[in-house]
Amino acid sequence: MEKSAKSKKRLQTAKELPLIIADYYRECHEAKMENRPVGWMPPMNGGIELFYAMSLQPVFPENWSPVCAAFGLTHKNFAVCENMGYSRDLCGYLRNIIGYVNGMMDGPEIPLGGLPEPDIILTPQGGCSPVMKIFQALERRFPRAKVFRGDSPQVAIENITRHHIDYAVGEMKRLVEFLAEATGHKLDMDRLKEVVRLSDRACELWDEIMSFRRFIPTPISASEIGIMFVMVTRQGTQKAVDYLVRVRDELKERSEQGIGILADEKIRLFWDNIPLWYNMGLFNYFEKMGGVVVAETYSAAWSLRLDADNPMESLAMKTLTSYPLVSCVSIKKRKEMVLKACREYSIDGAILHRNRSCVPITLGQMDIRRELEQEGIPSLIIDADHMDDRNFSTAQFQTRADAFMEMLLSKKKGSL
Amino acid sequence: MRRGGRKIKQYTSCVKKGKENYMVSDAALPFYEMVQNRDHELAALASAGKKLIGYFCTYAPVELIHASGFVPVRIMGDAGTIDKAYALTPDFICPYLRGAVEKALNGGYKHLRGVVQGYTCDAACGVANIWNENIGGDVFHILPLPYVDQPASRSFLRAELTGVAEKLGLAGGVYTHERLAASLDLYDKIRALMAEFYALRYERKLPLSAADFLCVVQAGFFTLPERYYTMLTDLKKALPQTFNAPKGIPVLISGSLIEDPRVLRIVEESGGMVVADDLCTGLRNFIPTRGRGAEPMDRLIDRTMNRFPCPSRTSAEERLPRLLELMECSKARGVIFILQKFCTPHLGDHPFLNAALQERRIPSLMIEIEESGAQDGPMRTRLESFFEMLEA
Ligand code: SF4
Ligand code: SF4
Repeated sequence: MEKSAKSKKRLQTAKELPLIIADYYRECHEAKMENRPVGWMPPMNGGIELFYAMSLQPVFPENWSPVCAAFGLTHKNFAVCENMGYSRDLCGYLRNIIGYVNGMMDGPEIPLGGLPEPDIILTPQGGCSPVMKIFQALERRFPRAKVFRGDSPQVAIENITRHHIDYAVGEMKRLVEFLAEATGHKLDMDRLKEVVRLSDRACELWDEIMSFRRFIPTPISASEIGIMFVMVTRQGTQKAVDYLVRVRDELKERSEQGIGILADEKIRLFWDNIPLWYNMGLFNYFEKMGGVVVAETYSAAWSLRLDADNPMESLAMKTLTSYPLVSCVSIKKRKEMVLKACREYSIDGAILHRNRSCVPITLGQMDIRRELEQEGIPSLIIDADHMDDRNFSTAQFQTRADAFMEMLLSKKKGSL
Repeated sequence: MRRGGRKIKQYTSCVKKGKENYMVSDAALPFYEMVQNRDHELAALASAGKKLIGYFCTYAPVELIHASGFVPVRIMGDAGTIDKAYALTPDFICPYLRGAVEKALNGGYKHLRGVVQGYTCDAACGVANIWNENIGGDVFHILPLPYVDQPASRSFLRAELTGVAEKLGLAGGVYTHERLAASLDLYDKIRALMAEFYALRYERKLPLSAADFLCVVQAGFFTLPERYYTMLTDLKKALPQTFNAPKGIPVLISGSLIEDPRVLRIVEESGGMVVADDLCTGLRNFIPTRGRGAEPMDRLIDRTMNRFPCPSRTSAEERLPRLLELMECSKARGVIFILQKFCTPHLGDHPFLNAALQERRIPSLMIEIEESGAQDGPMRTRLESFFEMLEA
């Protein structure tokens, strides 16, 4: 087994991803050439829709990291970052992006032209500690960029009350004012409503797409999760909606014809935590024994709805919930979400990626594990890292994954 | 360098492992004893009917907890190896938090009624959640703290703090503005006294070793503030007026928290003299000494928003001038970063701070505290060569 491998994708729409990714980065560079301001921001926040509504170009440095992993650039980036004195114990996203912007940046070997320099930086005041440190480092690297620091209270979803929402809406409005002043682009409310409507439509389609995972055999697996690229980068655009409609239609067709990812699906798995971006092929590993990774934690991040008639509040809520949804801000909520997914998708076993690069998603896994056990769902812990393959041992993975699959298979046989 | 001290035999409270002999000054002795008997002190408070609330990070609103009728207790780890905590936490979070979970799983915090934590770093938030799942209690609250200081964020913080008071109310707490005013007055006095000690230290007039001083700080993390204030007043009186001028190369210690005073003892035994710190078991806990405002809540909010910046809440650029100020007023000649391994906020700031110090020709050294505690041998060697370099 290779340390890094690409995933095998079965959906036609998922196979188009390289084009979709290239198209987005081309747009980012075009923006630069056309003098349309480019802003760097963390993913999954309401600023994305604001940017599209104001004809500004959002760029997501965190999303660039999986691209670097896919193109095998991470080792160079890590080396630059570690030479600057950053500890290897820090999140791999942080080490990759800081290494990238201080190293190769737009050198000739960079795929997709690299990232266009930011005119604006939205530094989050909230989210996880590494993401805040990433953006502080980006401010340092691009001193000419205009910086907005917006608060996003780190509050568990179940504890969100009116004052959290009001505060987040206030921060959203402050952002609009900042953007107008920094770029001269004004916000048109009707346009924003339209963008939010498209964003909501994308979420609706996302939920619909996810619901196909209930089918046995499942027509979509974690290997196809790259489709979330449009949710990360293009939420609020017609392009995202069009693509998701096509994904949905393909899934509909395949499920009607009973075409699964595996013809003979034996074991349905759940993946907790971020995938190994340098080895998406890992998801296919279980297939030789009839296992398919049906679902993963990550996808829940877009399982929300937005109200186009109340766009600012909807976007504020999106920002407020994006980090808590997938992290340890509330372990109670995470447990509920994982269990719900496991029940809905008839999961036989869960793989808990103990991710050295991500403390906030890893903390609480043992509690999730206990809960799964109580539900009769066995789980396997895999020690790895979503960015740094030096923290991943293929041999150890194979031994443990094989044993786990054998156990699940014999458990299933026993219960038949 | 120990001043006016006496030798305590087999005194093990403040060391992580084994038994050690070392000097402790008379004035600091009550604090050492408190820290040594910490578990016993907590049990005594609980059996006297006091309700204890734990917190990990100094951004917890201790004044509000106290005003509501609870005793705020900073959760710390214990000496010894991590064993049970493996079942709940990965081995790549800071040793402090793992040690705290271990102690809790060994029953060390059975007297706590719950946890109130301000969101500072991800690891502390996650561990607070894990605590809630596995250790439990009547109260569990994590409050988000605004980062940007503006009128709206102060109103937001007011709503958050009111929420804490309400939660504590459900567990039998009684909050009034008057009670908060009284608690703030008391904590302000404590912080003002600590600031006096710091000022003495900057002038080399504090006859306490860094390890002694850490114990003075640590005792405040679980002692009733009324009693702690008296202890500090007594300490002030007990400090000898004349003593041998301290020796050693003056340094500033920067980091998150230091639990084991032995680390600081090694710094001073290796040729250094701690004259300033930027630690949350130190200065960051006390500065500013008070907040301003007409109403008690305003005072609490004002102080929270103006806290001496912790890297979990601010950028290295914002911290640097504060560190330089401390260097200046303490005449420190170098900086020793003593960081908890895996501590993202501090590790994330370190490269910038290190480079900025280098530009100013200020030598610095970084030491990571691992789970096994400070590694005596290698740490001494690195410190000795650092001080030799500074002396040259
Ligand atoms: S959420 Fe995890 S992976 Fe993402 S930046 Fe934070 S620590 Fe890194
Ligand atoms: S030492 Fe660092 S990681 Fe540990 S609780 Fe403190 S800030 Fe968080």
